[in-house]
Amino acid sequence: MYEVDMRAPGSERIIGDNPPLDVIKEGIIFGEGPVWDKRRKSFFFVDIIGDTIWKWQPGVGAEVVLKPSAHANGMTLDHEGRLVVAGWGGRTVFRFEKDGSLKTLAARYEGRKLNSPNDIVVHSSGSIYFTDPPGGLFNVGHTGDDLQRYLEIQGVYRLSPDGSEMTLVTADFVYPNGLCFSPDEKLLYINCSRERLIRVYDVQPDGSVKNGRVFFQYSGPERGNPDGMKCDVEGNVYCTGPGGIWVHDPSGKVLARLRIPHHPTNFAFGDDDWRSLYVTQLGWVMRTRLNIPGVASW
Amino acid sequence: MSTTFERVAGPYKGITGGLAWNGKEMLFSAVQEERILRFHPASGTVDNFRRWTGRTNGIAMAADGSVFGAQEGGRHVIHFMRDGSTAPTCDLIDGKHHNQPTDLIVDTKGRVWFTDPYNPTPPYGPPVFPFLDHASVLRLERDERRAWKLRRVTFDTRAPRALLLSADEKTLYVADGEPAKEGPRELRAYPIEADGSVGRHAVLHAFSPGQRGIEGLCLDSGGNIVACGGWKRAGAEPFLYVFAPFGAVLESHVPPADLPMRCAFGGPDLSELYFTTGAGELYRARIGRKGYQRSA
Repeated sequence: MYEVDMRAPGSERIIGDNPPLDVIKEGIIFGEGPVWDKRRKSFFFVDIIGDTIWKWQPGVGAEVVLKPSAHANGMTLDHEGRLVVAGWGGRTVFRFEKDGSLKTLAARYEGRKLNSPNDIVVHSSGSIYFTDPPGGLFNVGHTGDDLQRYLEIQGVYRLSPDGSEMTLVTADFVYPNGLCFSPDEKLLYINCSRERLIRVYDVQPDGSVKNGRVFFQYSGPERGNPDGMKCDVEGNVYCTGPGGIWVHDPSGKVLARLRIPHHPTNFAFGDDDWRSLYVTQLGWVMRTRLNIPGVASW
Repeated sequence: MSTTFERVAGPYKGITGGLAWNGKEMLFSAVQEERILRFHPASGTVDNFRRWTGRTNGIAMAADGSVFGAQEGGRHVIHFMRDGSTAPTCDLIDGKHHNQPTDLIVDTKGRVWFTDPYNPTPPYGPPVFPFLDHASVLRLERDERRAWKLRRVTFDTRAPRALLLSADEKTLYVADGEPAKEGPRELRAYPIEADGSVGRHAVLHAFSPGQRGIEGLCLDSGGNIVACGGWKRAGAEPFLYVFAPFGAVLESHVPPADLPMRCAFGGPDLSELYFTTGAGELYRARIGRKGYQRSA
C-alpha cells in the first residue's frame, strides 16, 4: 500500500485509497525501460547500471534477456511485437529480431553519433519516436565506450516505418526524456527532466509536430523529476515528478499523485486488462492496480 | 629577474582548473562551462579543445598526445583520444565507484595517478552509489590485457587536492587537507617503493588553521616544487611558492588574482608559468624558472 495525495474530485474513478503495491523484482540497481508484451504475457524492463535487459512473467519470475546490454534504457514494442530499445550507453536505437539477433536502427544524426537515446514509443504508422538527452554520456554507472558528445542538440527524433529515414521532431528540450501519444495519437507529450516540465505538440499527418506548448510545469523541493510518462485510455497523463507519479487530466490539471515509495523512474501499463501499472525504480520493480486501463503497447 | 604576471584569458563562468602544455598551446579546463580550452600564445587567442567535458578539472598529456581528464561530474578519469572520441578508464576500486577525481598526472610508464577527494558539487545522475569511506590518491594502470585497473596509493589522506611526481618518479607529492574543514593542510612527500606502493610520508610544509593551502602543483627543471593556492580571506594572501624537494621555501610570490587553482609551465623552453583561478581566469607569470619536461 502507499499513499495517494493531491486528489481532485473524481480521482477515485482512476485510483482508490490504499492501492496495492507488489514487488515484482528486487535486487536490481536502476530499473527502467518497462513495457508489457501482450503476446508473450510478459513484462520487460532493464537495469541500466546492472547492464541487463530482463523479462518477467507472472508465476514464473525474472530471467535475463541480454547482458551486457550497453546500458539499455527505454523500451517498447513495434507492430510485429519486436522489442525496440533506446540504447543509452551504447548510443543507438536497436531492435530484437525474430531470430534473436540485434539490429541497429539508428546511431547517427547528420553524420554525428547520437547522444544517448533514452525513451521510445511506436506510433500506429509504425514510426518510432525517441528522445536523445546526453545523460548516458556522464551519469555515474550508465556510460559506454565513447563518452564524447558530438551533437549540438538534445533532440527528439522519428524513424520512418521502414527505418530508412530519420528526422528531427523537435530540439526544444534541455533534457528530453519520457514521451507518449494521447490515445487518439493527435497529441505527443514530451517531458524535460531538467526544466521539470511536460510539453505537448499537435501531431501532423506526416508525423511531424507543431504548436508546442507547456502542458505542466513541476516545482517544489521533493525529489523526483519528469522521466517516465504514459497516457490512459481516457487521455489522462501520468508522469514521474516530485514526490511520486502525477496524474493529470487532458488539460494538465492534477488529479492525484501516487506516492510510491523510493524513486520511480518509469512505468508501463500491463496485464490483460491494461490496468496494472508496472513501476521501475532504483532498486526495485513494483506493480500497482488502477481502475481504468492505460493505452496498450503494440 | 623581476616577476611579471598577466591575465591572458578569462574570466569564464565558474573556476578554471587543470592545465596541460601540449608543446605549442596551453590547455586548461573551464570546469563549470564543461569545456577544455586551448590558449595559443602566439596569437593570444583561445578556442575549444573539447566541449561537453562533464566538469573535467585536472588534465594531463599522455605520451601519444592524448589527454587524460579528471571528470568530477561523472566520477571517473576519462581519456580524450586524438580522434576526438573519449574513452572511459576504470572507475571501480574493489567493486565500488570512487569519489570525484580532481587532479592527475601521467608517469613515464603510462600510469595515471589522481587525487580522489569528496566534492561539494554532486555528480551527475541519481545518487545511486555512495562515496568511498576514504579520500585517497588512486592510480590507474594497465593489466596484462591492457585493460585499466585501479589501485589505491595513499591510506592516510583526508582530502587530497593536488599531486605531483618528482623527476625520478621516486617521490609522490600530495597537497592534502580540505580548506572548508578543520584539520591540517599539508604538502606531503611519499617515497614510492619498487612495488608501486608508497611509504610513510614526510610533511614538507604545513599551513596554519584558516589558510586555504595548496590547490595546484608543478615541477621546475631543478626538481623544485611550484605550488599555488591560498586566498585573501582572513588577511592571508594567495601565493605561488617554490619549495625545495625537502620542503624549504625557496621563494614566494603574491599573484594579482585570488584563489589560484592549478599551475603548469609552458611557453618557449617551458619558461612561463601559467595558472588558473577561482574567478575563471588564465594567468601567465615569469618567475625566472623553467618547467620540468617529463619524457613519457
